[in-house]
Amino acid sequence: MPRDTLSTLSDDALMVLYANGDPAAARALAGRLLPRVFGQARRMLGDDGEAEDVAQEAMVRLWRIAPRWRQGEAQVSTWLYRVCANLCTDRLRKRRHVALDEIAEPEDPVPGVERKMQERSRDDALQGALNALPERQRQAVILRHIEGLANPEIAAVMEISPRAVESLTARGKRALAALLAGKRAELGYDDDTS
Amino acid sequence: MTPHDDDDMTQVDRLLKAARDGEPDLPSGLMARVLADADAIQSQPARPPMPARPLWARLSEALGGWQGMGGLVAATCAGVWIGFSPPASVPDAGALILGYEAGVEESSTAELTSFGWDLDEG
Repeated sequence: MPRDTLSTLSDDALMVLYANGDPAAARALAGRLLPRVFGQARRMLGDDGEAEDVAQEAMVRLWRIAPRWRQGEAQVSTWLYRVCANLCTDRLRKRRHVALDEIAEPEDPVPGVERKMQERSRDDALQGALNALPERQRQAVILRHIEGLANPEIAAVMEISPRAVESLTARGKRALAALLAGKRAELGYDDDTS
Repeated sequence: MTPHDDDDMTQVDRLLKAARDGEPDLPSGLMARVLADADAIQSQPARPPMPARPLWARLSEALGGWQGMGGLVAATCAGVWIGFSPPASVPDAGALILGYEAGVEESSTAELTSFGWDLDEG
């Protein structure tokens, strides 16, 4: 099927095409879903290498379920986010808690790359604070504020009520604010509006 | 919430927005590996549905396989034999039910002699 046509199809329809042997369907699905699932795993785990493994495994499970996929019962992306969240939870349980202090300090800025370094240090600070959140709060904050999912979809991913999602994201954001309080100057937010 | 809390929350919002806008590219090779998995799984022949197993096989399995079935058959045979020919120490349930006051006392060798097996010994 032509690539332009595939881009207009729903995830459900692409799953059917993949199951029926269309090789282009896998490319279209992976193009849509892999960046999202990798981003979720990267933020949940704080480790790019582990996030790659989790994203690849989640996609393998997607390919395997395609022949048995029942259209209209759940969104493909919601199902995949849930699989990814479960894989991340398994990894986190095997791991020791990583304290904020263990996040590597940014190196001294080199002229010309100072701005890049500033962005990197902000991202590291955010990731360190995310790592310090309880797992469910972290998952809710990532899905809501980084992946941009709506509360009902997060509720479906986490198998909780939308009210519980609201509570988790609110508590998560307050906890992030507390963890990052006092780092404003260090992160360059005192004299920078960016 | 104090003005200071507002500042902290604004900082978190900015950090989250930057994270949302600046998601890094996929690591090199990840997309290729995922697509290779997709091709490999897609080219696998569809698994044929499991044939329906006969009732006898499912019953045998439920009872513990051939060991369980063997035990059951042995216990059944023993029960039938005891029913037809109860030992002297066991009340004859059949006689009691049919109203006989006492069973007929039989020699312990009655079954053997009745077939004439004792004659073979001369």
